[in-house]
Amino acid sequence: MTMTISGSSGLIFPDGSGQETGIGRNRIINGDMRIDQRSAGTSVSTSSTGTQTYASLDRWAYIVSQASKFTIQQNAGSVTPPTGFTNYLGITSLSSYTVGTSDYFNVNQIIEGFNIADLGWGTANAKTITISFWVRSSLTGTFGGSLRNSAIDRSYPFSYTISAANTWEQKSITVAGDTTGTWLTNNGHGIQLAFSLGMGSTYSATANAWAGGNYVSATGATSVVGTNGATFYITGVQLEIGSTATPFERRMYGQELALCQRYLPATSSIGGGGEQGGQVLWISSTTGWGTFIPIVQPRVVPTGFTGTASEITVRASASSNTVTSAVSFAGAGLSQFLFNVTIGAAAGAANASGFWYLNTAGAKILWTGCEI
Amino acid sequence: MTYKLYKTLNEKDAAYTINADGSTTSFTFDPANTDYQAYLKWVSEGNTPEQAD
Repeated sequence: MTMTISGSSGLIFPDGSGQETGIGRNRIINGDMRIDQRSAGTSVSTSSTGTQTYASLDRWAYIVSQASKFTIQQNAGSVTPPTGFTNYLGITSLSSYTVGTSDYFNVNQIIEGFNIADLGWGTANAKTITISFWVRSSLTGTFGGSLRNSAIDRSYPFSYTISAANTWEQKSITVAGDTTGTWLTNNGHGIQLAFSLGMGSTYSATANAWAGGNYVSATGATSVVGTNGATFYITGVQLEIGSTATPFERRMYGQELALCQRYLPATSSIGGGGEQGGQVLWISSTTGWGTFIPIVQPRVVPTGFTGTASEITVRASASSNTVTSAVSFAGAGLSQFLFNVTIGAAAGAANASGFWYLNTAGAKILWTGCEI
Repeated sequence: MTYKLYKTLNEKDAAYTINADGSTTSFTFDPANTDYQAYLKWVSEGNTPEQAD
């Protein structure tokens, strides 16, 4: 086999197809499912319906039409991941639900437009991409997924086959780039890659062809939510330019975490608690603003905050430490975020400064609204 | 589950809720915030938030 390395096209395979190489070829973030800032490996029920919901592993969302038909958990079931991986995203079905015509259940990742701009989708020069992943299910048969644009008027339903139950299998799907439609190349929704867990006929279409419309799976695909206790595990997800799946791109943990924090600024206590988090600017003796300076500039300005008041200790000048009684989002720019701090007993002094810290191992704060 | 309304530093409308695990989820009324979308759904189901203090 002869391969050519071209200065302009990268690696060229014998069939004439090209393969870009080097750092950054995988456009999926957290494809090896290592980062779980929100739930730290705990099981999450899919209780929200009708909206793109981020509740578990970083960058991976679910959207469902019926609540609580499955759970999501990093390393659910504690099976051995594929060689070279330590984590996977695990789905467990909670019932034997018969999917209706308009039902939808999927896990997905929306790739930011900036990160797919070079694909040239929506133009005559649209590049071919290949999706690859490791998957394991208690079910066998034909499964489905799709690629969609932000307007959800361009879809590419795809199918793949799981041949053996409870066995890791690697799949790859090559897709000729879409030469029509609008594919954002800014900080908005670029490409959504979805894996179906059950899809009604309204959102299903012929596999392996571009379609004008909102289709999330291939017609006739297996329904994971249709079998109580069924499992669907996935890891090593990669989306890259070219017609051949290359080995999963390994990134340093710190790199992957930083990539995730563009969409979920957060901090957590990894020791016994007590690591200083940031300043508190006191506006009265009982209220103040806790400050947080993100390590990575977020995709957009955060619009929300999640934290546990009792896990946040504040200190005012010349006073003892005080556990916070309430926290909430106060405001944010791209480079500094504020949360409201309220304490039960007077400790601060207006216009004075102090600091806050997480007082419990595993405590965390999350800044929301930056996901796509 | 319930929500309570408040204003942010810049006088933007916001709400918070206390989750089952004791954490607080708070958010501005930004259509892109998925917690706000969940709040809107909760309101559309006939629920009413607590007013701000």
